[in-house]
Amino acid sequence: MASEDEEFTMLFQDFYPSLCRFLECLLGGRAPLAQDLAQESFLQLHRTAWGTMPVGEARFWLYRVARNLAINEFRKSHTRYRLFDRVVEVMSPRARNPEQEYETQERKTLVLEMLQTLPEDQRTALLLREQEQLSYREIGLVLNVSESKVKVDIFRARASLRERWNKVSGLSRYAGVGNS
Amino acid sequence: MNCSFTEKVSSLVDGELSAVEAREVERHLPGCNECQQLRADFLNLRTHIAGFETSLKPEVQKRALEKILGTDRRVPVPRLRWSFGSPAVAFATLVIAAAIIGLLFYQSFNKNDRNQEQVAQQQQQNPAPVPSRSTEQSKQQQPQATPEPAREQQPAPNKGAEETPRRQPPRKIVREPKPGEQFAVAPDPTPIRPADAQTLTAMHFEKSETLLLAFRNVRLNEPGTAKEVDHERKRAQQLVLQNMMLRREADAAGDVQVSSLLESLEPILIDIANLPDRPDENAVRTIRQRVERKNIVPLLRVNSTALARALD
Repeated sequence: MASEDEEFTMLFQDFYPSLCRFLECLLGGRAPLAQDLAQESFLQLHRTAWGTMPVGEARFWLYRVARNLAINEFRKSHTRYRLFDRVVEVMSPRARNPEQEYETQERKTLVLEMLQTLPEDQRTALLLREQEQLSYREIGLVLNVSESKVKVDIFRARASLRERWNKVSGLSRYAGVGNS
Repeated sequence: MNCSFTEKVSSLVDGELSAVEAREVERHLPGCNECQQLRADFLNLRTHIAGFETSLKPEVQKRALEKILGTDRRVPVPRLRWSFGSPAVAFATLVIAAAIIGLLFYQSFNKNDRNQEQVAQQQQQNPAPVPSRSTEQSKQQQPQATPEPAREQQPAPNKGAEETPRRQPPRKIVREPKPGEQFAVAPDPTPIRPADAQTLTAMHFEKSETLLLAFRNVRLNEPGTAKEVDHERKRAQQLVLQNMMLRREADAAGDVQVSSLLESLEPILIDIANLPDRPDENAVRTIRQRVERKNIVPLLRVNSTALARALD
C-alpha cells in the first residue's frame, strides 16, 4: 500500500502541473478551475483505476478523464463564462500597466484566446502534441480517434492559428522571442 | 497554402513522417518559400503553446495530493452489506434458511398426500353413500340427466385431467343418494384451486337460481304436480352436497359474500330435497315465502354474473 502511494505520488508530481496547464489552455484560462479538474482526474484515478492499470497507461487515462471533465464544464458553464469573459475584457487592467511588466501575461492571454478559436477536438489534439509531446498514435488513444484524424486535426489547427496569428500581427512580433 | 506539401510539413515538424517521406519533404523545402515559411510559423506556434506556463502554486499542488491520498480507495459506490460477521455464521444462516424452506415444501406436499389418503379411506369406509367430487361436478354439468340407480362407478379421473382445471372431467353415473342419507356423512372437500372453485360456484348459483324459479312456478293441486315436485326435489338433492362443499371452500378462502349466500341457500335446498312425493301445499308455500323473504334469487343472479365476469 505504501509503495502504491509512493508510486502515485511520483506520478502526481510528474503530471499534475502539466495536466493543470493542459486544462487551463483547454478551458481558455480559469486556472483555479483547471486545478480543480486536474485534482478530480487524479482523484478518480486513485479511487478507481490505480493499481489495475500499467503506470505507463495512467498518463493517457488521466488526459482522457481530464478532457471529459473539461467538456462537461464547457456544457455546464458556457454561457456563464462567456459573459464573465466579456466583463473581464472590459475591466481588463492591461491598458493601464507597463508593457514590459505584462508582456508575459499578454502573450499568455493571446495564446489562450487564439486557442479558444479552435474547435475543441483540434485544440485538444494540438495541446497534447505541442505541450505533452504525445505522438499521433498516443493522441488517438487519448481521444479515441484514428491517427489520420489526429494528423488532419493538428494540421488544421496549426493552419488556422497561423492565419489568425498573422492577422493580429502577433506572430511576427513574437517570432523573435520564440526563436531566441 | 497552394503547395501540396503543406500537410506533410506539419507532420514533418511532428516527426510523424516515414524516413522516405521526410527526405522527400526535406528536398522540397529549399525550393519552396511557402513551405519554409509554414515550417517556421508552425515551430513558432509550438514555442508559444509549449511555453505556456500555468500559475500553479506549490502549496496548491501539495494540498491536492494530500486530499487525494486522504480519501478511501474503491468506496465511491454504496452497496448492500451483509452483516453476517464471519463466514461460519453466514454458512449457518444459509443452512437454517434452506432447512426452513425444505420443511415448508415438505409440509405442503404432505398435506396434499394426507388429504388424498383421507378421501381414499372415507371412500373405502363409506363406499356407497358418499359421492365423490368429480361425481358432483359431472352431475352439475348434466343436471337434466335423469339419475339412474345403482350403477357401477367409473374410475377416478386421471392426473392430467386434474391438472387442467377447465377441462371437463369424464362423466360418471353413480347411485343417487336416498333422501336424508346424503346428510349423514359430509363429504370431505378435496383442495380446489380458485379457478375451479369460482367456476363451480358460478355454475352452482345458476342452477340454484333455475331450481328456485322452477320451484316457484310449480302448480299445486294439478295432475302433474307430483312429477314436477319430484323433479325439483332431485335437483335440490344434487345441489345440497355441492352447496355444502362450496360453502366450506368459500369459508376457507375467506370469501364472506359467497359463503353467506351459500349459507342462506342451504336450508332452502335441504327443505326442497326433503319434500315428500306428494307435498303439502303449506310446505311448498312456506319454502316459497322463505325464498321471497331472503331475496335469494336476485342475489344468486348477481353473484353468478359477477363470478362469470371475473372468470372471463
